[in-house]
Amino acid sequence: MHLKNTLTRYGAVAQLFHWAIVALVITQFVLAQWVEGLSPIRKIGPLATHKSIGITILGLALLRLIWRFFNPVPPLPAGAPRWQDRAAHVSHFLLYALLFITPLLGWCMSSARAFSVSWFGLVTLPDFIAPNRATYETLHTAHEIMAYSLATIAIVHAAAALKHHFLDRDDVLRRMLPAPDRSTHS
Amino acid sequence: MRKYPQLSYLFILTLVCGGVALAAHQWTLQPQESKLTFVGIQADAEFEGAFERFDADIRFDPQDLAASRFDVKIETASVNSRDSERDDAIKSEDLFAVKQFPTAHYLADKFTAKGGNKFTGLGKLTLRNVTRDVPIEFTFEQKNGSAWLKGSAQLKRLDFGVGQGDYKDTKDVGNDVKVSFVLVLK
Repeated sequence: MHLKNTLTRYGAVAQLFHWAIVALVITQFVLAQWVEGLSPIRKIGPLATHKSIGITILGLALLRLIWRFFNPVPPLPAGAPRWQDRAAHVSHFLLYALLFITPLLGWCMSSARAFSVSWFGLVTLPDFIAPNRATYETLHTAHEIMAYSLATIAIVHAAAALKHHFLDRDDVLRRMLPAPDRSTHS
Repeated sequence: MRKYPQLSYLFILTLVCGGVALAAHQWTLQPQESKLTFVGIQADAEFEGAFERFDADIRFDPQDLAASRFDVKIETASVNSRDSERDDAIKSEDLFAVKQFPTAHYLADKFTAKGGNKFTGLGKLTLRNVTRDVPIEFTFEQKNGSAWLKGSAQLKRLDFGVGQGDYKDTKDVGNDVKVSFVLVLK
């Protein structure tokens, strides 16, 4: 498999970005659900991990976007209805946007509660927002809305990929997997 | 003396005045301008807090360190770490237990000049009914009848039992706490 994208499929680096972010985003939801109802002290550890992973996602999203600029993006399959092409472009754009917005809101909401974010204990991030309870509440709500929007669009995105794979029987899903194209082994 | 009771008052008054004259300068704390703050570590990130109510009885004279004395009483329930939930945790049974131990007490009476306006002091801090030696480093400056004491101390919360139950773990809530003070005196 090539490191860089080709005109028909995503390369190893783009696939690694894609699936690492998938795994990390799922972990974020698990951690966020898990801390609900824990005592304040027991929340600290999982929330610290949640924040570290969130910052990791932000960094990966940035690197991924940069990588995307230097690689060809495999085109959408020809012959699909125009609305599907549009939906694909809009959802890809929103997924990228939310991968930036959600962690940034999380970072700000931490600052608003005077809980600075440490990235895995290695670096403490600066606080751009002064502590304020009302600001925190607003940012918390926004963070949750963005997270659930991300999940919703990601589910639609995955469902569309599965539809291409099982119903249309094309290579849309395969080109983001370390699997050969159907065309090459048929 | 029984014949002249006022004479005994005079005698006592003489003793008291003599005592004050011999003692180091007695300062009056200016609570509005003074600050007692601390930096703790939560999830590898530092956070800052302050005690909003404390009283400091300061007798200090750089020329008469032997007669100098700091006697500071801190209202533990006045802690403010800029997050009400964290404050509630700090005030709870497992940490400051402010209901049983409403006051922390620091008493220092051994001072050493370190050159210029720098000094060190050795005192005893009583927190949660546990008393331990806590050294402080500070500077002393005076101008036009006012004085400024600025310094800090480094301590470990678990030395005072500040951390019962889950809070005994230092992974998420660090053991090291730095206490800083700026006392404005007149």
